[in-house]
Amino acid sequence: MKLPVRVVLIAIVMALLAAAPSIAPAIIVQFGISTLIMVTLAQSWNIIGGYTGYTAFGNSVFYGLGGYGTAIAMVQFHWPFAAGLALGAALAVAFALLLGLPVLRLRGQYFAIATLGLVGVMTAIVSNVDIAGSNIGLVLPLLKGDTLFYELALALALLTTLAVAWISRSRFGFGLIAIRENEEAAEVMGIDTTLHKVLAFMLSALFTALAGGIHAYWITYIDPAGAFDVTLNVKMIIMVVFGGPGTVFGPVVGALVLSAISEFLALKVTGLAGMFFGLVVVTAIVFMPRGLADVMRRFRRVGWRCFEENIRTNRV
Amino acid sequence: MDAILEVRGLTKRFEGLIAVNHLDFAVGRGEILGLIGPNGSGKTTVINMISGTLEPSAGSVLFNGARIDRLPAFRRTRLGIGRTFQIMKPFPGLNVRDNVAMGALFGMAGTRPTLQAARDEARHWLEFAELAGRADQRADALGGPDRKRLELARALAMRPTLLLLDEVMSGLNPVEMGQVIGVIRRVRELGISILVIEHVMKVIRSLSDRLLVLRHGEKIAEGRPEEVLNDPKVVTAYLGRKRA
Repeated sequence: MKLPVRVVLIAIVMALLAAAPSIAPAIIVQFGISTLIMVTLAQSWNIIGGYTGYTAFGNSVFYGLGGYGTAIAMVQFHWPFAAGLALGAALAVAFALLLGLPVLRLRGQYFAIATLGLVGVMTAIVSNVDIAGSNIGLVLPLLKGDTLFYELALALALLTTLAVAWISRSRFGFGLIAIRENEEAAEVMGIDTTLHKVLAFMLSALFTALAGGIHAYWITYIDPAGAFDVTLNVKMIIMVVFGGPGTVFGPVVGALVLSAISEFLALKVTGLAGMFFGLVVVTAIVFMPRGLADVMRRFRRVGWRCFEENIRTNRV
Repeated sequence: MDAILEVRGLTKRFEGLIAVNHLDFAVGRGEILGLIGPNGSGKTTVINMISGTLEPSAGSVLFNGARIDRLPAFRRTRLGIGRTFQIMKPFPGLNVRDNVAMGALFGMAGTRPTLQAARDEARHWLEFAELAGRADQRADALGGPDRKRLELARALAMRPTLLLLDEVMSGLNPVEMGQVIGVIRRVRELGISILVIEHVMKVIRSLSDRLLVLRHGEKIAEGRPEEVLNDPKVVTAYLGRKRA
């Protein structure tokens, strides 16, 4: 009877979250939208980075393509928002397929640098495409009110987390984990590593692009520097590593906690806010390299000693 | 002889170095063939070309009569070729049970078992390899001998019909060796054909039906263990020439 209790709890939390726009003040709802988008981004990165073990810096490309697809469809073709989202997602998934095939042959830091390069390339290309508004960008039609965006962001965060929950207990997900743990052994165990990696990359691209599309319509403006922003990708990584890579709830917790703290600092202690994510990286790597989820699990058993063990086993 | 594996003119060149040169041999169904030779004679290279982690420069590999030398490694696994690595490659962050379950999950030809079925299958092979007591430990917490057993259990969970064993005995003491020899004998009783690389002569002699000796990537002898090990060419290859 353990599972139903959990399901009921989650359902109650989701219902409360869904009701938030009619209860909470506007500033909380806006914070909610940007945080839920970060949850989706972190969770998408978790698929390729946390489960498959590929440190991708190119997820901001998917994010930008999602935003631009939506913007171009709505501004240039006068399509409805939903069709724009679909176009953005299709662009990103196609990009993940075409670029994933060559780029996913690289491992470790080579993969990281290659995907980082893609961000620069995409910024340069989009800055010179007329239909995308060149380097000035596009202004999307204005939709008054935040409720739609909030509910969409919430639904997407939930959908992405459900997808990751499925991955964590599926044959496909086990294939990804095997690739992360030892790719050569995975291949010899009968796993089609190329297929698994490209599918994971495409799945990550799909959710990231949807988040990018929602964000672009919400802030009604998109330009190359903002859409293809590497620091956003770095945030995704920090949130996942902080929360627990390769877990279902780690990235959710990481995104919620870090978004809240960084928002608070930006309001109260502006000087610290800039340093905040740097501090998080250092602390997380030293004290909890397997993330918050792992610490919380072991804390119940061994208490404060788990930090000591982390330092020792990872030889910092 | 009804061969499960046949190798014809197998050659591997690394830049100018010829690691394996026009090698011909076959493994019979249910047979244990020992592959021996001094360090650097090309044994592991041969196994890598059969399992698919290396591409041959020339020659062909036939498994159950069909050519497999252009297939990617994972396809060969699903046809029924399992292997262990000399330098062990466990999935370090997973526990021992899931390491073995991974073999059952993807290796078994023509099946797509559920996670639960794969874990049940894993339990069987953990017992077979005398590793059941460590099922819940992380693979990177295992000591050397248990890692060897894990490699073996994981390969067996793939339900191979041909097993390639690359130095499963290295680093084991005589008692542990005896245990692993027992496991390999039981593998053979399952009807699995085995190609085994081994350095320890006592082990290879007691396990193998036939021996094949490599030197500088070429076959210098092949036949029953007693004959081959007394062959002057083989003795010279291992011990060097007698001084006058």
